[in-house]
Amino acid sequence: MGEIATEEFIRQKFAEYYSEHSQSIQPPTSIDRREFGFILFKERIMVRHKGFKDVKEMRRFIESIVPSDAYYSAAYYGRPEEEMERKGWIGADLFFDIDADHLQTPCRTEHDYWICENCRNTGRGKRPARCPNCGGERLREEAWPCEKCLEAAKTEALKLVDFLLSDFGFQERDVDVYFSGHRGYHVHVEGGEVSQLDQMARREIVDYIQGVGLKPRLHGFFKRRKLAETARPELNDPGWRGRLARGVYDFFATRQMRSSEETGEAEGLWEAVIKMGAQTFSDAMKFAVERHAVTVDTVVTTDIHRLMRLPGTLHGKTGLRVVRVPVERLGGFDPLKEAVAFRRGTLVVDVDEAYRFRLGETTFGPYQRERVELPMAAAVLLLCKRVASPSS
Amino acid sequence: MLVSKIDLAKYPFTPEAIRYVEGLGLRVEDLANPDYVSILERAEQRIEEAVLSGVVRWRGTPDYEVEVLSFPASMMLVSVAKDSFLKRRYALAEARKVYSLLREEDEEKLAEVASASFGWKIRLAHTTIGRPYDFAIKFVHFLKHAPSFHDERWKLVNRAMVEGEVYLNKDELARLVEEEVRTRIERRIETSPQIELQPPLSERINRIMQLLAGRREAIRAEELPREAVSAAYPPCIKKLYDALLTKQHLSHMGRFTLTSFLLNVGIGPERLVKLYTSTTDFDERLTRYQVEHIAGKRGSRTKYTPPNCATLKTHGLCPGPDELCETIRHSLTYYRRKLWMIRRGKGTKEGG
Repeated sequence: MGEIATEEFIRQKFAEYYSEHSQSIQPPTSIDRREFGFILFKERIMVRHKGFKDVKEMRRFIESIVPSDAYYSAAYYGRPEEEMERKGWIGADLFFDIDADHLQTPCRTEHDYWICENCRNTGRGKRPARCPNCGGERLREEAWPCEKCLEAAKTEALKLVDFLLSDFGFQERDVDVYFSGHRGYHVHVEGGEVSQLDQMARREIVDYIQGVGLKPRLHGFFKRRKLAETARPELNDPGWRGRLARGVYDFFATRQMRSSEETGEAEGLWEAVIKMGAQTFSDAMKFAVERHAVTVDTVVTTDIHRLMRLPGTLHGKTGLRVVRVPVERLGGFDPLKEAVAFRRGTLVVDVDEAYRFRLGETTFGPYQRERVELPMAAAVLLLCKRVASPSS
Repeated sequence: MLVSKIDLAKYPFTPEAIRYVEGLGLRVEDLANPDYVSILERAEQRIEEAVLSGVVRWRGTPDYEVEVLSFPASMMLVSVAKDSFLKRRYALAEARKVYSLLREEDEEKLAEVASASFGWKIRLAHTTIGRPYDFAIKFVHFLKHAPSFHDERWKLVNRAMVEGEVYLNKDELARLVEEEVRTRIERRIETSPQIELQPPLSERINRIMQLLAGRREAIRAEELPREAVSAAYPPCIKKLYDALLTKQHLSHMGRFTLTSFLLNVGIGPERLVKLYTSTTDFDERLTRYQVEHIAGKRGSRTKYTPPNCATLKTHGLCPGPDELCETIRHSLTYYRRKLWMIRRGKGTKEGG
């Protein structure tokens, strides 16, 4: 089956899903103040500046147009349907986007691949400048919802939540975490004064969680200087001060230089710190910051007009759902199980090539030019990734 | 609550002071009345002090009523003058007065002025986190002004923050209040209704404008650095440079742009420190540190170049391009080309 037929098939499955499950599309708060945007299957264009007066209208619209991807604005507007300059910005939720694409996971070279838009030739790893087969230059890069990558993204999300709760003082009920439906997590903070933060303030928040511009000496870490007892950073100190202390501790641990070996018996972390040479000191600080900093897409947080994925809708690149994860369950959350949308039936597909993947409890693949019968969710994932087509 | 008149006089921007003034029910026309001449005298003096020394003096005299009432009168005069340089300079001078007064207050009073006037959530917190702190302020309120301050100790990532509160000492809280006062005064001047003033009042404005004109020229006549050819500066740098010489408030980005540009065209750090400390009340030690940092003599040892045109535009520092600007994307490129043009006698001496 060709490209168009595959797309029509996916659209059909999405349509079935929305007609049955539109109730699970969660409306954002203040729905009538939000802008909505949708990517349409055939045209592949974003329809923006859409507004709804209530959740019923929103769900009915999604059921009828069947978008491949659905978004809403982090911002609140007086007139969400007007063009940007005339919308009347009122405020915006605080959003963080954690995407495995921004993390340097070692498995990426194994599972990332590219597709030539011209001849459908594919290859592993980073895309070349030209297709080796047809010489075409339109090569699309695709990343895989790989378990290791998703685990790395979750670790970032957990670190971020810790920053939001212990440093920024948000309550668990203020913080919403969503699996994006593909390779990451969205973390969303709503409420009162946060919505009024301007771009500069949001930039400061991003710099804080990323450890950008951090000066160790402003947290009590000096090269070779003895400080009074009260001025010394301790492992359980709050904020970056404590993170740096713990990071330095781990630095010694990973380098197998317990402080006692380096500096003599019965001396603690602090003695080790002040005895470090300049290079070791700067290595230790760098290590500590990198270990605790969270990698987020900085543009998403500082852009106060950004559109975010609508919870409960499907991701066009996977057919998985955008699902909310309660903060207390994040540690044990399994996106490849809980985000599965198509739970019934099977489909026979012709797979070009597919990396090993897991959905639910089952591991599939790898596949290489073969015809297989798969549970619907696994089949839709491969179709969405454009590495398979329904067999005719 | 600020109950005493002395407090109202010191902090005439507070809601209590504003209510007090409104309670008196004075109208603009009343100001022409000879009985109020002392208010107008003081109002004019406030502006004079702002123009001449960059800070409004706290007189400490017992005539607190004149002190309270002359503040809105000053703002009215400044707003009628419709001069943005005067507006900025006046707002900054009033704010500086508040800063120096607040530093002398006890902590309760300082916290009260900040929380009652601006709705900031602040509490007294005598805590030691590495160093002793006096206050804890909700981070959203800290972020209102801290990002516009240059020094890295104002970066959130370098602060002690616990459960949503940023810890501050007295001087730092006074500095945040100063900035809030400055922006509020600017906004009040901008939004105050435009009125036509009758002679006794309009004469005062004329006097202020004359004083200002003389001062502007005096500042501009100051000797320019010899090594660099200022005629070749692009419009953005000219504007920042003039702003510095006329003691206008420069944003963090503005100061960084100007400093890195001047360092790159051959003005030495020593000279720049002198330029900054003679035109502003910047602390010399801190200024030296910052200038040397940008010069690459400290910290990361990176010698910084000014941001490119796109970034300057983003930060509102591009006053609008001239002809040469259209062909370049960086202020230093502009400078080199313009210099070449001037030396070849091709360019006008006063471009932009």
